[in-house]
Amino acid sequence: MKENKVKLAKYLKEHFPAIIEKDYNYNRIDFSINRELVPSVLRLLKEESGYIHLSHISCVDWLEEEEFELVFIIWSPVDKIKILIHTRIDRNNPVMDNIDKIWRQANTYEREIKEMYGIEFTGLEAADEFLLEDWNGMPPMRRDFDTAAYASNKYYNRPGREDAMDVREEIARHSGEEIPDFAKKYSR
Amino acid sequence: MESLLYSILGVLVSLILAFTVGMTYMGLSRKITARIQNRIGPPFYQNFIDAMKLYSKSTGIHHGVMHHLGPAFIMVTSVMSLMIIPILNDSAFFTNMNFHGDLIFLLYIMTFGPLGMALGAGQTGNPNSAIGVTRGLSQMVGFEIPWVMAIIALMIRYDTSSIVDIMNIQADAGRWIMFSSPFTFIAALLAMLGMFRYSPFDIVGAPTELASGPMSENGGKYLFTMMSSSSIFAFAKLTLYVNLFMGGADNLLVLIIKTFALYMVPLLYGTVSPRYRTEQAVRYFWGWPSFFGLLAILYAVFF
Amino acid sequence: MINDKNSQKIVDHIHNFARKHSLWVLAYGTGCGAIEIPPTMTSRYDAERLGVRGAATPRQADLLLITGYLTTKTLKRVIRVYEQMQDPKYVIGFGSCTINGGMYYDSYNTINALDRYLPVDVYINGCMPRPEAVIAGFTKLQELITAGKADGAAKYKEKLEWYRKNQKNVIPNWTMPEYNW
Repeated sequence: MKENKVKLAKYLKEHFPAIIEKDYNYNRIDFSINRELVPSVLRLLKEESGYIHLSHISCVDWLEEEEFELVFIIWSPVDKIKILIHTRIDRNNPVMDNIDKIWRQANTYEREIKEMYGIEFTGLEAADEFLLEDWNGMPPMRRDFDTAAYASNKYYNRPGREDAMDVREEIARHSGEEIPDFAKKYSR
Repeated sequence: MESLLYSILGVLVSLILAFTVGMTYMGLSRKITARIQNRIGPPFYQNFIDAMKLYSKSTGIHHGVMHHLGPAFIMVTSVMSLMIIPILNDSAFFTNMNFHGDLIFLLYIMTFGPLGMALGAGQTGNPNSAIGVTRGLSQMVGFEIPWVMAIIALMIRYDTSSIVDIMNIQADAGRWIMFSSPFTFIAALLAMLGMFRYSPFDIVGAPTELASGPMSENGGKYLFTMMSSSSIFAFAKLTLYVNLFMGGADNLLVLIIKTFALYMVPLLYGTVSPRYRTEQAVRYFWGWPSFFGLLAILYAVFF
Repeated sequence: MINDKNSQKIVDHIHNFARKHSLWVLAYGTGCGAIEIPPTMTSRYDAERLGVRGAATPRQADLLLITGYLTTKTLKRVIRVYEQMQDPKYVIGFGSCTINGGMYYDSYNTINALDRYLPVDVYINGCMPRPEAVIAGFTKLQELITAGKADGAAKYKEKLEWYRKNQKNVIPNWTMPEYNW
């Protein structure tokens, strides 16, 4: 496993000098690369190294850094190694290369990402609507989309509901324990 | 004139009898299935309550004329087959309107109901109905073959096509046809499994698979009509089997005991069997049941 | 004679008795609550002893059981299904999500209060309600039917405009027929 991963990293470094690797435990290894080279990396891995399975395409919204991060998760049934390929694209002009010529099933994930984050895939051929019907407005999975305000504006909120309250201090007072500092950081 | 009125009265009484007994059997079958599945189950009169509820529902569906006539066709078929089948041995009151050659007429009229249902279901435009109808007709092609073979064997063996004659022959010989020509009985009994449409042959109205098939657009009074006609038809078929193979019945109590015993066969076979696919069902009927039917015909011709 | 007030009362009484003991359920099981229906129906809790039975299509059903959250997409289909059912018809809202949104109260695509869009006769709360609670809901509905108070369908016809306004508020692109009972 370990030597396979080292060999793989070396192999990719030869072809793409700009690639940055990050090793993880067990069967996972991550690579970061700029967005223009992603299709070439994927095609190389699929056709030369036997990474024939596309598990998922994921998207992360880095609001503060004004970037979207796309993660392509691929898997080789021979090497039993899971590769995550990260790439960052500009949040204000989110365009990505379409890879559904490499894996046809990428089409589904790309449609979902397009709908939920508003990322354009160049040359993506798909129907307009996938999961959302009649949606016009900000894509709902972006972090600056205020879902609570949207819901309370569009749907009826029945009065008398008490929830989403911060009860941690109450619990800490009852049990006589301190709230650790790292937990305070993630306070609401 | 008086005898005509008398027989009309007999027909009405036998209709009410068929409805009541058939509905009770259906309710009892739900109870028995529930007990087999370790449940308490609904009361045995549950089907009467269901029927009353269905009758009290309003109906505002219109898919065309044939959609309204479909349930009527099925009802007509059930009532017509009940008219022909004598209910008791040597009873002027319950002889009904049978005539010589009624077995041949029955063979025809028993396929008429599903055809009417097919016409009615076809017009609803519901895809589930269409699939259900094609399944039903293919299954009918399956079980009709052993059933017709059994009837033909009976007709050849006893040289008659009248149900009353066959009943009289059994009464004279003191021996049921079930025992004197067993192959005929086996073929007919296996065909009956398909006729009753219990599992594993419930491919027509499979509720989870086809959304009850041909009935899927029928609610309220239409469903009531179908339900009551199917219970009348069930009673008619059971009585026919008792008449042909089990020596008929001398009084109503014996009739009910015999028909209920016969009714247990498809029911109990169904409660322990999963559903067949269409081609499996057809292959089943064209296998052993048809073989026994052929054997019965050969036996009737040569012995 | 037959339109006489008292005889109508007797007929209603008999009909209500039949309706009460023969509830055919159309379980609209897209929410997580659908998993509580199989134990309710099978041998442990056996709802069939109360006359509750599954119906295959909306045409045959009396009772629409909405199990859990409804997205705006499924709401369209539920409205269609409800309007295809034949009178008298009842709706049971099942789980917290149908009452006030439950844990999806701030979601962008689930409705929060079902009774703004469909007339609900009985609510069963809980996340998820156990089969005992579901059966309690059925018996409560039976009580309402006996008392003649389960008149959701009549209310829906009466206040159709109000319901339609709410529905169209959530479903902007209304492509369904105006009414299809």
